[in-house]
Amino acid sequence: MEKVNNNPPTIGDRVIQGIRKDPRMVFLALVLIGLIVLMSILAPGRFLTVRNFKNMGFQMAEFGILAIGMSVVIMTGGINLSLVSSSMLGAIVGAYLMRALNQAGTMSDWSIILIGIASILTVSVLCGLVNGFFVAYVGVVPMLVTLGTQTVFNGISLNITRGSGISGFPKVFQKIGSGTLFDIPYTLLIYIVVILIAWYLVQKTPWGVHVYMVGGNEKATRYSGVNTKKVLTLVYVFSAVMAGIAGILMISRYNSAKADYGSSYTMMAIAATVLGGTDINGGSGKVWGTVMAVLILQVLSSGFNIIGINRNITDIVTGLILIAVLSINHFTSKEKIRKSK
Amino acid sequence: MKKLTAVFLALMLILAGVSAMAETIVVMPKLVGIPYFNASETGAIEAGKELGIEVIYTGPTTGDAAQQVTMIEDLLIKGIDALAIAPNDPDAVSPALQKAIADNVLVVDWDTPASGDDVKYSIHQIDDKKFGELIWDKLVEAMGTDEGEYAIVTGYLTAANLNTWIKYGTEYAAAKYPNLKLVTDPVASDESAQEAYTQTLALLGAYPNLKGIVGISTPAPIGAAMAVQEKGLQDKVAVVGSSLPKDSSPYLKDGSLDFGILWDPGKLGKLTVYIAHYELNGTPITDGMEIPGVGPITLWEDGKTIIMGDPSVWTAENADQFDF
Repeated sequence: MEKVNNNPPTIGDRVIQGIRKDPRMVFLALVLIGLIVLMSILAPGRFLTVRNFKNMGFQMAEFGILAIGMSVVIMTGGINLSLVSSSMLGAIVGAYLMRALNQAGTMSDWSIILIGIASILTVSVLCGLVNGFFVAYVGVVPMLVTLGTQTVFNGISLNITRGSGISGFPKVFQKIGSGTLFDIPYTLLIYIVVILIAWYLVQKTPWGVHVYMVGGNEKATRYSGVNTKKVLTLVYVFSAVMAGIAGILMISRYNSAKADYGSSYTMMAIAATVLGGTDINGGSGKVWGTVMAVLILQVLSSGFNIIGINRNITDIVTGLILIAVLSINHFTSKEKIRKSK
Repeated sequence: MKKLTAVFLALMLILAGVSAMAETIVVMPKLVGIPYFNASETGAIEAGKELGIEVIYTGPTTGDAAQQVTMIEDLLIKGIDALAIAPNDPDAVSPALQKAIADNVLVVDWDTPASGDDVKYSIHQIDDKKFGELIWDKLVEAMGTDEGEYAIVTGYLTAANLNTWIKYGTEYAAAKYPNLKLVTDPVASDESAQEAYTQTLALLGAYPNLKGIVGISTPAPIGAAMAVQEKGLQDKVAVVGSSLPKDSSPYLKDGSLDFGILWDPGKLGKLTVYIAHYELNGTPITDGMEIPGVGPITLWEDGKTIIMGDPSVWTAENADQFDF
């Protein structure tokens, strides 16, 4: 018999409870802390500096937001290979408008930027609707749909730009990607707001519950009276909006838009999602896990760059960590199943 | 496991120790791991040894501008004296290069130009106009006639230098060889010989009267030659382009590739390090200046553009003399 504890839980109890509930997050946190310590030792006086953390804050947001967009799709058992190409399609349309309006010179900078941002998000929503329509209503496998739309979006971008970059935005637009508030990068602040919204939507709303249910068993979810088509469509729209926000940050940081910006982010976003504990088959996963994974990848990337290690080694180490975490997850979840039997 | 960790840590410390030398020059290619940029790495590292300075040759593993920006920002935190960059996109890296300048880092570009305001020197392997024109001259020479259909297989549609050569080449051809007919817009092969091979097969199928293929970017002519070889069209379809001699050699010998036109990327890496080193140490850079292991350079009147020399042409006879 267990003793009934009538005292209110202390902070220590809560932490222990948290660890029991989510050992993966603790493991990720340990990996993160370990990496920070390691990098601080290997790059003394350079890694553990305000400047570097500010730098990482600037860099992390665009990739982190994309990774959240990927995670929510993977939670439904799907995948979004068109993530970055939809991001850039929106960004290019927005960039095109902003440049044209800026050259015309009749509008104030702020209204040009507002129009730019609104058009980027509109294009993103459209891209998401296209993906959602084919996945949810036509019933094509998400990998095929998004592989196709990736090529389509990229093709449209290339057609608009003829392969070159678009620049010439109002000067203030750069501030989004390079400005700070009390020394905290705007991009990091935007990232934090996005994380909170995503966390709320996925973990606290009925839609979020349905996302997991669809990922677990779509048929059963449909027969239990949930409009799974609507849920899925919204998932792809959500993913595309994340891509749009990331696109805004990217073109502000690079002060230009081009069809192939961020092309390496698609696979990295999948890696971050899986590293963060989301099951690639859908049905489980947490926004915080992905956020943690993005932090780990950022520390690894920045740390190795500062030390001056070849990028190929960074890729190899990223891959090894991914495999290690997946193996550990695999065995711990097997244990759980055995225990519950 | 503990032993492994210890070995790993020791290795890292050695790596970290190396970076504590006096003068640090970073040479950043568009991407690492392709033969062209491997060859320039050899040259850059060699120059570093000759000069007794630290040369870090590092770049992204894919040709992504976003990755380059991230790496530049991180390297600035490391603390470096000079940055030589081959930008994947001049606009994208511009804010990062401005940060470097604000940090008192010498910024030059090599292989592919950055925006003029961002760099002290712009190191070019060749005169782009001459290069584009030479490729189209060689195309006509290989076709044996100045009329007929031809196609272009390029690396990325977004690559500025490749587009420049195509622009100069096609403009020149329009004036000098008006009967040369480009059948379609340049086809992208993503800097991959495999993709160039697939695209060329498609082109050969779609345009049976094709007499020539121009491959721009180093893997493109190789992939095109592979397709021509497989179809046994060596005598009907001419292939020329910017390829590395070692890769080209087997295809040059059986006639599937007619001419490879390029420069020595190893020398380019070397030249880049020398220019950065001279500038850091106050040695004046002048027109006609002799660079050890590279030869005399051309400095344009703008005082900024440096040209390494004339392009080289690889043929079945000479391709084996080079080790890149």
